[in-house]
Amino acid sequence: MSLDLQRVLTVARREFITTIRRKAFLLTLVGTPLYFVLVTMLSSGTAIKEGRNALKDFTALGVVDSTGLFKDADPVIVSELKASDNPFAKRSPVAAVVPVQTFRTQVRWYVDQPAAERALRSEQISQVLIIPQDYLSTGHVRRYARSGNLFSSADGRSVGRWLAAGLMRGRVDPLVADRVARPSEHEQYFTLDKQGRFVVQDDSREMANVFFPMFFALLLGLCLTIGGQYLLQGVSEEKESRILESLLCTVSPEELMGGKLLGLGSVGLLVVAVWLGLGLMVTAPALAMMQITVPPLLLVAAVAYFILGYLFYGSLMIGIGGVTNNMREAQQFSVWFTFANFAPMVALWAILSRPSGPVAVGMSLFPPTAATAMLLRLAVPNSNVPPWQVGLSMTLLAATSWFALQSAARVFRIGMLMYGKTPNLPEILRWMRQR
Amino acid sequence: MLEVREVTKSYDGRAVVNRASFTVEPGEVFALLGPNGAGKTTLIRMITDILRPDSGTITLEGRDIQGGGGARIAYLPEERGLYRRSRVVDVLRYFGELKGLGPARALAASNELLRRVELAEWADKQVQTLSKGMQQKVQLCTALIGDPRLLILDEPFSGLDPLNVQLFEDIIHERRSAGTTVLLSTHQMNKVEQVCDRALMINRGQTVLYGRVAEIRRQYSDHAVLVRADGSLDGVPGVRSVEAFNGERKLTLTADTSPESVMRALLDRGLRIESFALATLPLEDIFVKVVREGLGLDRGQSGPPTVDAMPSNGGSR
Repeated sequence: MSLDLQRVLTVARREFITTIRRKAFLLTLVGTPLYFVLVTMLSSGTAIKEGRNALKDFTALGVVDSTGLFKDADPVIVSELKASDNPFAKRSPVAAVVPVQTFRTQVRWYVDQPAAERALRSEQISQVLIIPQDYLSTGHVRRYARSGNLFSSADGRSVGRWLAAGLMRGRVDPLVADRVARPSEHEQYFTLDKQGRFVVQDDSREMANVFFPMFFALLLGLCLTIGGQYLLQGVSEEKESRILESLLCTVSPEELMGGKLLGLGSVGLLVVAVWLGLGLMVTAPALAMMQITVPPLLLVAAVAYFILGYLFYGSLMIGIGGVTNNMREAQQFSVWFTFANFAPMVALWAILSRPSGPVAVGMSLFPPTAATAMLLRLAVPNSNVPPWQVGLSMTLLAATSWFALQSAARVFRIGMLMYGKTPNLPEILRWMRQR
Repeated sequence: MLEVREVTKSYDGRAVVNRASFTVEPGEVFALLGPNGAGKTTLIRMITDILRPDSGTITLEGRDIQGGGGARIAYLPEERGLYRRSRVVDVLRYFGELKGLGPARALAASNELLRRVELAEWADKQVQTLSKGMQQKVQLCTALIGDPRLLILDEPFSGLDPLNVQLFEDIIHERRSAGTTVLLSTHQMNKVEQVCDRALMINRGQTVLYGRVAEIRRQYSDHAVLVRADGSLDGVPGVRSVEAFNGERKLTLTADTSPESVMRALLDRGLRIESFALATLPLEDIFVKVVREGLGLDRGQSGPPTVDAMPSNGGSR
């Protein structure tokens, strides 16, 4: 494959400039992060609001107690919603001055279930709690409400605490009863960090442990997908506009492909840089509070995996663009590879909870999922990925990328001037073998 | 200049081009003819190094075409296409830079070419705002930029109005005068007669005609003359038959009679001759005849005279 570097750079420059001048690019560059911020804010806001509403609407609980254990239980359930229950608001400096919200729920006893149900249907009470005779031995209780709340279990927790307090009432010291209801409310959990020191694992750190790797891997996955889609679009447009034949008289398919990979890969890197920059700017105070620093080696690995992953997916996209007739047809094929790219996100919990488990190791070595999966593993704060696994993963991905590049060049050379029937798999495999 | 030797290309065991051989001399306008599906586009794609031949060699100015054609060859394909959302001048500049011109030279050459094809005021417009004919002129410019040594034009006149056809012809003549070799593929036989020096015709991948256009026409024509004159033409020595033909009379000569001797005989009779010309077949008729013979439709009829210049398949000149 002999390449004229000047021509490769000319193609790359055109692809880069043409792409970044498009309105759709600016929309992607600015619109995508804005969209994610908006969706996160809306969804978290909704969850918090629903939690508050669940307690606010929980004004009266009807109890049918067949055990007699709760006849002296507290007739009022007091629930508190602290600012710290909002995982997003508590990073805010105003969180400290937000008062604790208190909600009171009246408890009314009923002789049987039909009577309680009637009260529930006529909206005299919010919920009904049925405590059967065998409750003490089985723990079975039934709760009835007019409608369920998918987003909050705050009312359920309050009922649980009331039951615990009710069981203890009059039998033990009120302080003990209260502690039984909330046995580990202020627990501090310590784990070893990478320097061998025990550090506290509070809620915010746990959240960071999930969101930080997810953010990194998602960013990489998105950039691979976006870069690949630009390539797919570029090749499809040229094929549809029938300009390829004029071009190929002057520039070889390999030069054209190389230029596209370089130019549109640079667009992908630009997107990464802008999003990463914006992300770090926005999250820097929170990251600093959580004492999270982005290790330089992680950034190096991210760039390396981006380049290798982009070569792999980019080659596939060029090959797909070469054999299909238009963008719509091309996208039908490319969507399967996009799924592969994001497969590690489906196995997110398995990878984050066990970064050295078989799922995590397997996915980070398997080339189509390696980039995203390995980055997830590397970004888990206390994970220790053996260097040989990183080396093997990169080597396998590099070898696969090289093979994909070679095959795509052959498929592209033959397929780009073919219009009409899309070749079937045996034909494509035959093209890949041709020299 | 361009030498195609023993070139073969097969798909699925079927030879689309079968041992084609021909040369195109420097500064000539050479026609590549053939019916649809004859293998012309495949042949052109091999000359432009878009496709690689299964066997045979193609050289341009003595150098193998593979990997080295680059800026020396330019191609206006039959399938028209441009970057529709780019500015006209940007498309031309891009092609100029791909052919090795620096940015400034590419811009200057783009503007010069746009002036030549009367599109200077459209330089900053998006390609998609241009009419089909205008886009065709822009695409011609993408081929002309960088002053290629070999210019391949596939159906350059199709879809153009008479004024633009004339413009394209003028440009071909200008380029030829400047030393550019032009390979023209077209089905418009009158244009071949007007602008081409020599021609190659292929059918089903095989070479069926090859030589100077005038020579092909002469050799494929009946041995006859067309005469417009007053008085009787009967009984002229060496004339086998006389028939009326488009307001003239067609005199078919015996094999050993020359047109000059017939003209002398007519003058000796004291006839007033308004016109006297060789009755050559239009190239279009020759094309149809050769293709039909290739399909076996004219079998049993007297065969066409062999054109001396036609090489046997695989032979080269």
